Amino acid sequence: MSRSRQLAIQLGIVVALLLAWEMIVQTGVVDARLLPPFSEVITRFWAILRDPEVLRHLGVTTSEVLLSFVIVTPLGIGLGLLLGENDYIGKAFKSFFFFMASVPKSVFLPLFILTLGIGFAQKVAFGVFQAIFVLVISSIAAAESIPPDFVKMGRAFGATRRQQYQLIYLPAMLPVIVEGLRLGMIFSITGVLFAEMYVSRAGLGHLIANWGSRFELANLLAGILLATLLSIFINETLRYFERRLGAWRI
Amino acid sequence: MQVNEPTAQRGVADLRVEAVSQVFGSVRGPVHAVDNVTFDVAAGRFVGLVGPSGCGKSSLLLMMAGLLAPTSGQVLVCGRAITKPEPTEIGVVFQESSLLPWKTALENVEFPLALRGVDRDVRRSSALKMLELVGLKDFVDRRPHELSGGMKQRVAVARGFCQDPRILLMDEPFAALDEQTRMTLGDELLQIWEQHKKTVVFVTHGLTEAVYLCDEVLVMGARPGRILKKIAIDLPRPRTYEVMATERFGRLRDEIWQLIRTTTRT
Repeated sequence: MSRSRQLAIQLGIVVALLLAWEMIVQTGVVDARLLPPFSEVITRFWAILRDPEVLRHLGVTTSEVLLSFVIVTPLGIGLGLLLGENDYIGKAFKSFFFFMASVPKSVFLPLFILTLGIGFAQKVAFGVFQAIFVLVISSIAAAESIPPDFVKMGRAFGATRRQQYQLIYLPAMLPVIVEGLRLGMIFSITGVLFAEMYVSRAGLGHLIANWGSRFELANLLAGILLATLLSIFINETLRYFERRLGAWRI
Repeated sequence: MQVNEPTAQRGVADLRVEAVSQVFGSVRGPVHAVDNVTFDVAAGRFVGLVGPSGCGKSSLLLMMAGLLAPTSGQVLVCGRAITKPEPTEIGVVFQESSLLPWKTALENVEFPLALRGVDRDVRRSSALKMLELVGLKDFVDRRPHELSGGMKQRVAVARGFCQDPRILLMDEPFAALDEQTRMTLGDELLQIWEQHKKTVVFVTHGLTEAVYLCDEVLVMGARPGRILKKIAIDLPRPRTYEVMATERFGRLRDEIWQLIRTTTRT
């Protein structure tokens, strides 16, 4: 099946679903108070995008996510490299990260609230907490995936330790690290939004939780749509870079 | 059975492996991967190292390259003991899986020079010359995944030659290639060698390959890793495909195989 045909079918499915949504509300099958029609959600969507209050909250969320990302990325990658490269330390601590990765981090949120309050710092900290385990694990995988032939070859040609890291390890690990970044970003977003929804005075998550509790369904759905579109956009951008950097990966 | 070689009569040998052993610890006790091996490689000779799996030829090669310290004994290059890799004296050709996949053929060949901080233009022209030598002039900007197995291995050979080392160690370079490509590359390698007269140590599993390419073959045995016999290959040079059909060729090949066979059974 050709790409354009694939795209056409996918678009067709989306349009069909949206039409169905619109129809079942307009015809009264579903109460408009329970499920606003798509047309209303779209109207609200454009309205909230122009609302300075919403934009302010969006700004808060964005800075929280960015700061979380900026902290967790070097931390996670650095730790992962250390654990992947160093057998001695690695054996001791790797299992800790693997176990924690499988624990639902949301249960720790009350702890974060008790220690850090409900402000900016707590959101960032929780974002970091949410993302770090996945990032460490994928960096460990990256470090361990480097073919030993590369290292042997580098040493045979006289590469210093620093050259080995800079010229062999780093480029070899780059695609896997970028994948880790993408996961780190997704989990940072998840962590921050969740913390905002649970209890917060600001942020997109806070807005969404408010709209939900006040039964402002059109706004709620518009907010969900916004969060969805932003996440998809960020994810796809990072995937694009992942593909570009990994062109040589078979 | 041990074979110990006296130092070459005319001056110091290019490469001398002296009483070298490599002992690994393992759960079952010490493993003598290489057991008190001594041999010389005279300047300009093409020497083969042949043996069954586990005979220690890889460990021996690592030690000759300065990548692994011998448990005892030493490796001497022109009379000087080496303790770490010396890329200007000893070049190594690995299998093509050692090419860096994110670099082009040209960048891969100049990599050893880049490590030493050689000026960009100088190393570029050196690398280009080497790639032309191996017949890859039109492929310098390709990445390894765009090249065939034979081409990739040619890049590896070009990279080994690039620093113009005195000695070239080749670690089963053609092992992953199909037979036809092996034969073609073998001939090309001999041509380059005739031109540049390097000292070559060629580690291989292939008996035919060893007899075809080498001046002398060191036959190794396993458990413990040691040299069983040094066999001189006195076939005329330059070697042509026809020599493989001669009786002499067959007998030499047979001698190696018999040696390996009988020792492997014990």
